[in-house]
Amino acid sequence: MDSKLLKPVLAVYVAAFILFLYGPFIVLGILSFQQGPEGGPQFPIIEWSTYWYRHLFGLTPPSRIAPLPVGEALLRSLTLAFMTMVTATVLGVMAAQAFRRRFKGAGIVFYLIVLGMMVPGVLTGLGTSLLANNVVGVERHWWTTAFVAHVVYTFPFAFLVMLAILNRFDGSVEEAAWSLGVSPARTFRKVTFPLIFPGVLSAMLFAFTLSFDEFPRTLFASGRDQTLPLAIYGTFSVEIHPNIFAFGVMTTLFSFSLLAIYGILMGLSVRRAKKIAMQEDIS
Amino acid sequence: MGHTESIFRLDNVSRQFGELIALNDISFEAAQNEYISLLGPSGSGKTTLLRVMAGFEKPDTGRIHFLGQDITDLPAHKRGIGFVFQNFALFPHLSVFENIAFGLRNGIEDVAGTEIDTRVRDMVGLVGLEGLEDRVPDQISGGQKQRVALARTLVMQPKLVLLDEPLGALDANLRSRMQTELRHIRERLDVTFLHVTGSETEALAMGDTVAVLDQGRIIQSGTPEQIHDTPASSDVALFLNRFNLFDGTLSDNTFRGPFGSAPVQNARHNDTDVYAIRYDRTKAFRKGDALPGPALPARYLASEYLGSSVISFFETADHKQVEVDHHLSFGDPGEYEVGQDYILSWDPEHAIVFGREAAA
Repeated sequence: MDSKLLKPVLAVYVAAFILFLYGPFIVLGILSFQQGPEGGPQFPIIEWSTYWYRHLFGLTPPSRIAPLPVGEALLRSLTLAFMTMVTATVLGVMAAQAFRRRFKGAGIVFYLIVLGMMVPGVLTGLGTSLLANNVVGVERHWWTTAFVAHVVYTFPFAFLVMLAILNRFDGSVEEAAWSLGVSPARTFRKVTFPLIFPGVLSAMLFAFTLSFDEFPRTLFASGRDQTLPLAIYGTFSVEIHPNIFAFGVMTTLFSFSLLAIYGILMGLSVRRAKKIAMQEDIS
Repeated sequence: MGHTESIFRLDNVSRQFGELIALNDISFEAAQNEYISLLGPSGSGKTTLLRVMAGFEKPDTGRIHFLGQDITDLPAHKRGIGFVFQNFALFPHLSVFENIAFGLRNGIEDVAGTEIDTRVRDMVGLVGLEGLEDRVPDQISGGQKQRVALARTLVMQPKLVLLDEPLGALDANLRSRMQTELRHIRERLDVTFLHVTGSETEALAMGDTVAVLDQGRIIQSGTPEQIHDTPASSDVALFLNRFNLFDGTLSDNTFRGPFGSAPVQNARHNDTDVYAIRYDRTKAFRKGDALPGPALPARYLASEYLGSSVISFFETADHKQVEVDHHLSFGDPGEYEVGQDYILSWDPEHAIVFGREAAA
């Protein structure tokens, strides 16, 4: 295609992409500084203020707007996301490790695992609840049924990340360790795991964030104690105030800081490798 | 320890990958404290043989004995056989020192910290890695990596070390230096090296014993002299890359080939009739010169100067390339003109003939 035409088209495309990606968040971010408690969740900004942030932490005088019921829900969601992250990552690493050997029925097992992220979430949630209540006889809680539903959902992601990592992993270092008289279990701990650790970190990040804001599966499976996304949704159904926006900004910043820590850790290891490579070139 | 006791013995070992037969009923026994080189073209199954011996793969059939013990069903980490990889396979997250100490620290035996220290320092000295102990593998050169890989294996004091094309990743200069060093290191320790290589020069130069592998079978084994001077089959002669080989027919002690017919004193049994004459036994003559034997007309193509000798390339009427290796200690080579026809000849006594009619 003619580059004179291509460039503007691409520019518009990128602009639209960025607009839809960041637009909602920017609008939310601006509105979170709306005046309170009278200011509503819409433009124009009557007066800039941090009222809704203070409201979030209970630092404002009591008003007709109840504080967001997020305290316990947040703790619950963090705990659930952590449990899910650990379980899904352990399972993901183990399953991907198993797939390094072409075992019988590997294809079927692969699709069975990946099914967990394909099946519509609401169905999984509902099915898990029915199964727990009517067949197994387990009470629905965020740490029972919802936990299982989250693991089923995040496990495939962790598995696929680890599969990609192990695909590029050169097994000869493990064989070298065996030939030095080191048992396979110790070889995994001392050689394989340290080398695949960046991948494990990625799998953990995936599992954590996916579980943290999971909604459809949790809706039916979580029982009476709600997780954070459910609690927030609950407040929507009554009335929307900018305190939700303020909370959204806070959680996004939290996610960003997690990503930043991850990025810094990865960047450090990459930079170390690059520095070494440069030394190689010079010497 | 005597040379008579065997270090390992393979009994009818076979391994197949789908349709591909990697090892075809291999039986082989090797003496202790030797340098054995295993020569084979790529795809001959030589790496598979090493991997089966190391325990990374199981043979389909057959037994493997090591120091008189059947180790066929023993996992790799309980065999006590060292392995040096072509790509070195160093632990990239550990320093040179920790790479070498790895087996001592994490192995089944409990080795005291101070002993680990002395043994690693000794080994660092033996392979000449002083001063590099704290570097990681990415910070050292290929030759140094090779030494770390070797030191890491030797520090465990194995009786047998398998080396999978250990010099393949090094440049030519370093390769010849490591050849000498490998032999030297082996002689200082009471250890057998089984060195797999696709290079006939390397195999002949390094091995006390040379075994030739082709299509999953060991087709000949013996001293380098035996292999070089009396190849057991035309395939061995081909791998040695030192013989001009001619197809033809052998009957009644006469070989008929592109050079006419030549008398044959004795022939070795082979599936095809092949006439082999070493490059350095083949000589080029002008028309009209007195010839020592058969006459093979050929056109001169080019020469390669190798320092101590000159290799000249000729082409016969049926477009087969023939090499003439002239050692310079025998005087200057003749001046040949590109595109001119010459007569190649040799003393038929030096020829090695393979044929179907010869006794097995």
